[in-house]
Order: sequence, then C-alpha cells, then structure tokens
Amino acid sequence: MPVPFEALIPLGLITGFFGASGILFNKLKTSINEGQPPRYGLDRWDRVMLDRDYRLTGTQRGQSHQTSAPDGFSTNSAWTLESEHI
Amino acid sequence: MATYREASLPTGKFVDPTPAPAHSAHPEVGATSAPLKSASFFIGAYCKDYNEDFMLCKDENSNPAHCLKEGRKVTRCAMDLITKLRENCEKEWEAHYKCLEKHNQEYYACRKPERTLNECVFSKLKLEKVIPGASNTPIHLRENTIYN
Repeated sequence: MPVPFEALIPLGLITGFFGASGILFNKLKTSINEGQPPRYGLDRWDRVMLDRDYRLTGTQRGQSHQTSAPDGFSTNSAWTLESEHI
Repeated sequence: MATYREASLPTGKFVDPTPAPAHSAHPEVGATSAPLKSASFFIGAYCKDYNEDFMLCKDENSNPAHCLKEGRKVTRCAMDLITKLRENCEKEWEAHYKCLEKHNQEYYACRKPERTLNECVFSKLKLEKVIPGASNTPIHLRENTIYN
C-alpha cells in the first residue's frame, strides 16, 4: 500500500504557514531592535537606562563607549506627559 | 510636592522650551548602558572612594542640590576609567558588551568574553572583579556552569 501523499499536503501547508509567520515575527522583532533580540523583564532602572541610551545615541538600541557625552545631551531630556484621568 | 511616578498611557513628551545654555553644562559620561554594565565592577573598584563619598552625602540629605560636587567627582572618575579602558582593553570590552546586548544584558550568558575582559583589565589596569558577599567560589570564576 503506497504512502497516501495527499494526506501530507495539508500537513505541509500547516507547517509552512506556522513557520512563515514565526519567521516573519522574528524578523519583525529583530528589525525593530536593530538586529538584536528584544529586551524583556524591564524594570524602572532598565527603562530609564534605555531612555538615556536613546538620548545619547539617537537610536533605540544603539550603544557607544565614548568617554564624554555629545553636546546636546545636557538639554535633550524630556518629561513624559499623560492626559488627565478622571 | 508629589513623588514622581512614570506616566501611564503617555500622550507626548515635554521638552523644556528655554533650556540652559550648552556651555554651562558639566561633562557627562558618554557610555551607554551595556558598556557601563560590562565595566560596572571595575568602576566600583576604581572609583570606590568617590562613590562612597557620594552615597554618604546623599544619606545626609536627598536634595539633588546638596551633592552636586560629589556627583561631579563620581562622573569625572568614571570618565577617567572609561578613557583607560578605551586605551587598553577596547576590543575585549566591546566584545563583552556586544554579547550582553544580545542576551538582555544578563551576565550569565556572556562568561567567555567576560573572562578575556577580566584578564585584560587585571593585567593592564590591575583591577579585579570582586562580588561582595560571595560565599563559595564566585560565579564568574567557576569552571563548570550551565550557561557559558
């Protein structure tokens, strides 16, 4: 009795769609994070440091090991606003 | 004056419309979070006196204006060490912090580049990484760990 290849077609389709969406999601995450995996488990310290990194380098996940900060660093900090909660 | 909390459901950013002139700013450390985390134990060893001075000053009075001088000393010491690291161990430092960036800035995942960095810093700058309060062999000196 030969192998029923017709049964393998939906299996291949399902695997293909799972795989394609997984790969697409992975590429999306790495493209947002500049080729690195995303950060997780962030507490307030990490969020403040990430904001400082953005102020120093201008990109979300860029890193630099300069000695002194660029000139605009002392004046480019910003308060986050929230709308009034009633 | 309410204590500061992070904005929930943020709507925008407020940038000061009349900032202080740039020439009046004191120099600030230019390293971002991953290089600082990589060099953290060396900063602790090198700048111990200034750091302790600052913490004790903050203990007296938590007003930011009270500890500006000690803060500037801490900043200057950290910048000094960063200059020394850039001169002597730049490649190993870069390798370690790039590895950290790939692994959510966790130390356990990057022991190999950390070992080379520790050796380089110990041989050139005579600074050692010490984990205070470690009972057995410190984790960064153990041979067989789960993650390498």
